[in-house]
Amino acid sequence: MNKLKLNYTSLSFLPILVCIPLGYQLITNIHFGGFKLFQEFLISAFNPKIDNEIIITVINRLNETILIGFFSWLVSIIFGTIFGILSSNIFYIIFNIPNFFYHLIRFFLTVVRSIHEVVWGILLMQIYGINFSIGIIAISIPYIAVNSKVFAEQLETIDHKSFESINEINAPKFSSLLTLIWNPIINTFKNFGLYRLECSIRSTVILGLFGIGGIGTSIFLSFQTLNFRDLWTYLWSLAILIILSGLIFKKIKFNTTNKILSIFFIAVFFITILFSFLYFLYFIFNNNFDNFNSVSSLFKTSSDFGLFDLLKLILETIILSLLSTGIAISLPPLVIGIFNNKTSKIFIKIFAFLLRLIPTPVILLILLTFNNPSLSLAALTLGLHNAGITSKLLFTNLESQNRRNYIAMKSLGISKKTSWLLGLFSQQAKSYLAYCAYRSDIITRETAIVGVIGSVGLGWQLQESLSSFAWQEVSIVLIAYSSIAIVGELINGKIKSSLT
Amino acid sequence: MNNTLLELKNISYKYKNNLILNKINLKINSGEKIALLGKSGSGKTTLISVLNGTIKPTQGEVKLFNKSFEESDRKQKSKITTIWQDLRLIEDLSAEQNVNCGLLAENNFYFAFKNLLNISSFKKAHKYMQLCRLHYSIYDKKIRKLSGGQKQRVAIARSLIQGSNILLADEPFNNLDPKLITTIKNLLLENVDKNNTKKYPKTALVALHKLDLLNDFDKVIGIRDGKIFFNIKRTNLNKLHLDKIY
Ligand SMILES: Nc1ncnc2c1ncn2[C@@H]1O[C@H](COP(=O)(O)OP(=O)(O)OP(=O)(O)O)[C@@H](O)[C@H]1O
Ligand SMILES: [Mg+2]
Repeated sequence: MNKLKLNYTSLSFLPILVCIPLGYQLITNIHFGGFKLFQEFLISAFNPKIDNEIIITVINRLNETILIGFFSWLVSIIFGTIFGILSSNIFYIIFNIPNFFYHLIRFFLTVVRSIHEVVWGILLMQIYGINFSIGIIAISIPYIAVNSKVFAEQLETIDHKSFESINEINAPKFSSLLTLIWNPIINTFKNFGLYRLECSIRSTVILGLFGIGGIGTSIFLSFQTLNFRDLWTYLWSLAILIILSGLIFKKIKFNTTNKILSIFFIAVFFITILFSFLYFLYFIFNNNFDNFNSVSSLFKTSSDFGLFDLLKLILETIILSLLSTGIAISLPPLVIGIFNNKTSKIFIKIFAFLLRLIPTPVILLILLTFNNPSLSLAALTLGLHNAGITSKLLFTNLESQNRRNYIAMKSLGISKKTSWLLGLFSQQAKSYLAYCAYRSDIITRETAIVGVIGSVGLGWQLQESLSSFAWQEVSIVLIAYSSIAIVGELINGKIKSSLT
Repeated sequence: MNNTLLELKNISYKYKNNLILNKINLKINSGEKIALLGKSGSGKTTLISVLNGTIKPTQGEVKLFNKSFEESDRKQKSKITTIWQDLRLIEDLSAEQNVNCGLLAENNFYFAFKNLLNISSFKKAHKYMQLCRLHYSIYDKKIRKLSGGQKQRVAIARSLIQGSNILLADEPFNNLDPKLITTIKNLLLENVDKNNTKKYPKTALVALHKLDLLNDFDKVIGIRDGKIFFNIKRTNLNKLHLDKIY
């Protein structure tokens, strides 16, 4: 009998088994009350509202979204680079700093990263009130930590031998550091940094759903009032924005040999740092901390929030993350593999784009039209949204791959699906899984947003505690989030290192 | 004048219970040209790494200008330059940028920055690349795109441009054709002093596999299993010596 062999390919498909418990809970929760709404939602996609009034709203709202998205991207990519350098081992080797600080800053960044930008946004809003710059700050904080991780990871790939050779030249330490990190930093910026702009815009939209300006607010309001035609106008204009931002960056060739461009980038770099500091000072001195005092006093109030409840919420959050990750990993290769022809490919791509485009809370609300709220529903939402993202990566990688093996297998008479699996996908499986490991970190963070709406896990508790100003509970929930993230990161690191 | 520049005192190096260098004593005097012989795996590269401070010995003391190596400052350490067996160039930078890295020690941070942005002057780098017979068409090519012998000469140019007194070279003639070997050998051992630049290192220790190149050296050191078997004048070298180490 053939034993099921565990390799990268089978590991990419196995997680789909989460669909068994998930499907069971979903089926038992089905209802048909919202069918009409759902139908209307779908039809409106092809019939968005277009008139002067809404176009003006769209332009104004998009302006806000672009501003928040762009500046949070700029700030987070620049400070992400700096923190990335500060949390890479090459920095500590060159400057001979004790490893303790390396672990300290990494730990600090992990904690910052584990708290979703929406949570930062809500917290900051409670303290400072609604304010345009809250959006930028709320996104920048966790994004700096996320970006710094990616930069640090790339810096860890610097060959120790090239370090030794530069070290042997006995250059000033900063010169050595700069010379060694230059290319990894530039390449990471090109491959990863530009894509982060899209993420910033998406996060801005999500923050908007929670009332912090931009197109997200309009999306949420139109959904609340069931104006699906308005909703789709906003969604489509957002789609155009995301596509355009991607296209613009594709067109710009980042050529480091161009003097004027280099000077421009360096100027932007330093001006951003300067302004961020100035703004930080302004922010500190221009806010009276009356609110903050009340916040800190609330820290002392006791809560009726037991350890048992906390453990239950943590467990729920972990299950939610696992189920969603399972879908995000296995659904794309499964669907792409089964429907392996030109027309289906186009449909899958469009569907994946929509899943990326529509903010998770909205997806969840749509799913609620024919299913009662449950953990599985929240998991399905997160899973689908992230499958939209992983499938984009998978498509890009598959299309850039050499098709020789695939064609050779097909010409041997092996079925199309098998050839795809063994000739194309199997070579991608490893890097795909490595990316999914990174994605699972993000999914854990995102449980906060579906939790808030779907009434599961820590996200829900967070919302409850925030709205009742129970700050002690809030801090407990945040600590719980950080602990999950830290443990998750440790496990992910282990999995990742065993995969590569 | 017997002025000792570098000295190894009773050096041993252990790696995971393997004794790779075993009680090595060695003096490198000013102006000496030393050939280091030994079969593959005998410890030549490890010895060179100890001499330039890349590897800390498990036991013993390294002295630079009669001072403990650890206590020497950056300026003094930069009096040593190394051509590595595996070259250790920065693959993503161009040939001229790599050669310019050799100038990092005598310049400030701004120079490093300009070098990476490709807006520094490459005049000096080009001069040394020319001496190594590198064609100008490869000056701005990334290291990844060069041939083995071209990479080898970029590494040599990077080392020479440092203007150090002491050269440590680990099989620097790899990948070079006979004519180039002569050119490079003369450059490294200062037999030809073109334009009177006097920049080339006067003192050299070169790990070698090709015995026909020995004629240009004053001294020969034979090493086997991490131990020095002989350390003699070249003129005294005979077949028995070589039988011991090969
Ligand atoms: N990084 C390392 N880790 C473990 N063992 C090593 C390492 N580097 C060298 N060695 C071992 O040390 C011994 C000496 O190696 P070394 O590279 O110094 O030899 P070599 O004389 O330079 O050889 P070759 O002529 O092939 O370059 C070898 O047995 C080698 O296996
Ligand atoms: Mg060697």
